[in-house]
Amino acid sequence: MSEFLQFVFLGLSVGAVYSVFATSLVGVYAATGIINFAQGSIALWAVYTVAALRTDGTLVLPIGDVSLGSVASPTAMLPAVLLGVATAAAWALIAHLVVFRPLRRAPALANVAASVGLMLFLQALVSLRFNTESLAALPILPEGTITVAGAVVNVSDLLMAGTAIAVGALLWAYFGLTTRGVATRAASEDELAARLSGYAPDRLAATVWTISGAASGLIVVLGAYTIGLDPVSYAYYVVPAMAVALVGRLASFAVASVSGLVLGSFQAVLLWANTLDWWPAWAQAGLGDAMPFVVVVVALFLLGGKIPSRGSLGELKMPAVTVPRIRPIPTIAVVAAAALAILLTADSWRFGIVTSMILSLIALSLVLLTGYLGQISLASIAFAGTAGFALSKLTVNWGVPFPFSIVLSALVATALGVVVGVPALRIRGAQLAVVTLAAAFAIQNFVFNNPALTPYEGHQISEPTLLGMNLSVRRGTELTTVAFSMTVLVVVTVMTLLVMRLMAGATGRAFLAVRSNERAAASVGINVAATKLLGFALSAFLAGVGGCLIGYSRGQLSAASFTVVVGLTMLAIAYCGGITSVSGALIAGFIGPLGVFYVFLNQTLDLGQYYQVIAAGGLLLMAITNPIGAAGANAELANKLKTRVRTARLARVAENGTTSLEMSSVKVGTHVG
Amino acid sequence: MSVESSSSLLETRRLSVRYGGVVANDDVALTVEAGEIVGLIGPNGAGKTTFVDAVTGFTRSTGEVRLAGQRIDGYSSHRRRSGGMARTWQAGELFGDLTVAQNLAVALQRPGIRALLADIITGSAPPVEAIDTALEMVGLADVADRRPSELALGQQKMVGVARALVGGTRVVLLDEPAAGLDTHESQHFGEELRRIAAAGIGVLLIDHDMSLVLDVCDRLYVLDFGKVIATGKPQQIRDDPRVVAAYLGSPDVEPSDVLDSQLTSGTTSPQKGR
Repeated sequence: MSEFLQFVFLGLSVGAVYSVFATSLVGVYAATGIINFAQGSIALWAVYTVAALRTDGTLVLPIGDVSLGSVASPTAMLPAVLLGVATAAAWALIAHLVVFRPLRRAPALANVAASVGLMLFLQALVSLRFNTESLAALPILPEGTITVAGAVVNVSDLLMAGTAIAVGALLWAYFGLTTRGVATRAASEDELAARLSGYAPDRLAATVWTISGAASGLIVVLGAYTIGLDPVSYAYYVVPAMAVALVGRLASFAVASVSGLVLGSFQAVLLWANTLDWWPAWAQAGLGDAMPFVVVVVALFLLGGKIPSRGSLGELKMPAVTVPRIRPIPTIAVVAAAALAILLTADSWRFGIVTSMILSLIALSLVLLTGYLGQISLASIAFAGTAGFALSKLTVNWGVPFPFSIVLSALVATALGVVVGVPALRIRGAQLAVVTLAAAFAIQNFVFNNPALTPYEGHQISEPTLLGMNLSVRRGTELTTVAFSMTVLVVVTVMTLLVMRLMAGATGRAFLAVRSNERAAASVGINVAATKLLGFALSAFLAGVGGCLIGYSRGQLSAASFTVVVGLTMLAIAYCGGITSVSGALIAGFIGPLGVFYVFLNQTLDLGQYYQVIAAGGLLLMAITNPIGAAGANAELANKLKTRVRTARLARVAENGTTSLEMSSVKVGTHVG
Repeated sequence: MSVESSSSLLETRRLSVRYGGVVANDDVALTVEAGEIVGLIGPNGAGKTTFVDAVTGFTRSTGEVRLAGQRIDGYSSHRRRSGGMARTWQAGELFGDLTVAQNLAVALQRPGIRALLADIITGSAPPVEAIDTALEMVGLADVADRRPSELALGQQKMVGVARALVGGTRVVLLDEPAAGLDTHESQHFGEELRRIAAAGIGVLLIDHDMSLVLDVCDRLYVLDFGKVIATGKPQQIRDDPRVVAAYLGSPDVEPSDVLDSQLTSGTTSPQKGR
């Protein structure tokens, strides 16, 4: 029993981080209606700032650094902590001023894309700017222990919990008791009314952003010694924090604060359970990481009630859609260009092209689900991964031959897609993004990274053959065979054409109807719930096919291909490419992780390590300057070109029905080539 | 004078809607026969839109809703629509991402596995004839390829009416379709309504344009504070002192004059939120 209690207390440090992140999220949501995926990344910067200051007195800035000491005499603790907290506050303020304020009237999707972009950007920047290999956190809180009911408890854990509760209480008091706080909430609901009452909504929101950044930075800085320093995990602590914030309906500071602590303790208790004899092997890893998803589902379904969504000044609509028409000549041109590119390249360049083609298929799954049906999903990569893992089992254990192996594996992903889609029947917008992210996180840690589910020799995948032809990706010293590349081209082309037919048909129209007005869709006889699930199923199938191709292209599957980061990057990139068009999916494939653009950076410019920061920074810039996505910009550009063509060749205008979409897909095709 | 028959096309019995402590619809009993135009009138906030919401499944209600004798009050909205009960919305609620013709197409081709296969194998072009017929009925055939946002509000509402009429509709509930139409358009709309009803469709019409309502309706129901306070032929309703009182809050006024002046002015003030 005392052992059990000991774990309960051990979990408090991590719980305190969840708790403060969660109350910060609630605060920012109350002030601006934004769910900030970058909350953890902002705090991450603070931790490393303090670690660097305490190691050699260097204040690391995004560009350049300032020396405030040396290895012999590093910065003292208090100034180091204050500086660290200040950097987090500064990042939060910058996020507000540069990213979220300009986007305050943009659709929920723009906010999700931007905040995911910011999260990835900061995370990448931390890895680039700090020596994350060697920096370590030094203790800040007292290291003593006390004994509670036979359990030895770290004083630091109790202090962490105390700090978390204090932060929660302060935020609650600010919003509930001060005139400024009440005005902030009012301004979030009705900006104009707040303005008329003499408040400056921007300044009120800026205050909350700064406080939330400072609070998140502080708790992580205090806990880093106990929890450990690593450039990834803090950024993703935002997932459990979002889960507990949802338990409090994104409105209750008290519930969010306490639930965060409870979740932290509960995860520690799950670790303790691993020591029990009867605890099953499959539950020994990743179960704790699956908890946020469980918490979200419980919060949404069992506790019932609705999460309030924030009003804003005349919301922008989702980016407009141009319904694709399949035209033989542009289609053949794109496919021929891709085939030519495959033949003319070799090794890593060809591999980049193959990867880009596969990624465009996964991006297409997002175009269908998010662009057409309006459901924001961050779980696509988890669907792809699930199919990849199913492929390994089906080909190695059961000897299912290509191409049936792909179809069956993608159907496994489809089933998962329907399950993950169920929450979409109750929530929408950014909250759905949170749920799908929690699901992806759970799948990643509980399924992909679970040793009990991983064979000793890894997830092997048998080489694909068709009618005696060997289609495998490697042969001898050849890194990427023509046969495999062409196989991918055929599969991706066929799937893309099928999806274009869907989009142009009754299914596409019904999806758009649901996207634009669910109530009206129901009133014309569309089963909205079934349609959403259909969208998740189709999207998961497409992503699943993509996952199988990734599997075949590696020969052996690793969880690294399907991490949450890759999933987040895919959504953000698909958004920037143009989430409502097939050409957007092609652009996304082109610039996606390990695709052609990456190879270009890596091989030609030798800047591979900057890929993530360039990609994340670029898409952040895109999201801010063009809230409805690059598709809109492309369409505009294409329209301009069209007008020019029209004036030049007035006579032929009558028969020229080329849509803006096809023009841009031709453009992309030549790029890929 | 309403004839209670078990085979009414649309019939509600003891239909009630409560929002918290507020009773928005109180034991409403109403029938619409095939080919009949029935008006539902009442002052702002009387519960007319709530009634439409309850009948079509967009708000929780108690009591019975029957379509051609069959109870449908447990059905979801989309299933009621598939069964032949359509509605329009006060605010139009068209699909902004779709063209006018596509707005009608979604009511004709419902998504599902069969539609999915059709999309892939044969391609599913919208049924042009049915769409054109419905658009011609409301005089909008020439804007089939425009987006709703390019149309005037009155036209948008007419698209909504056309959308409600395609796909095997047997009874249609029109929530202020004429708001936004000028006098001439409103008269024309009245003629169209008669033609729709003559085709055997039951029509429930809510509108503030009293000249339209009194002109085209076979029967009227008057709703006040969620209750039916009067029912009968238009002429009877015009002379009913209870109706006048409901509209003006005072029984001491000469009924016909007031109704004529107040009701024919075509008040289009917005109703209480749903």
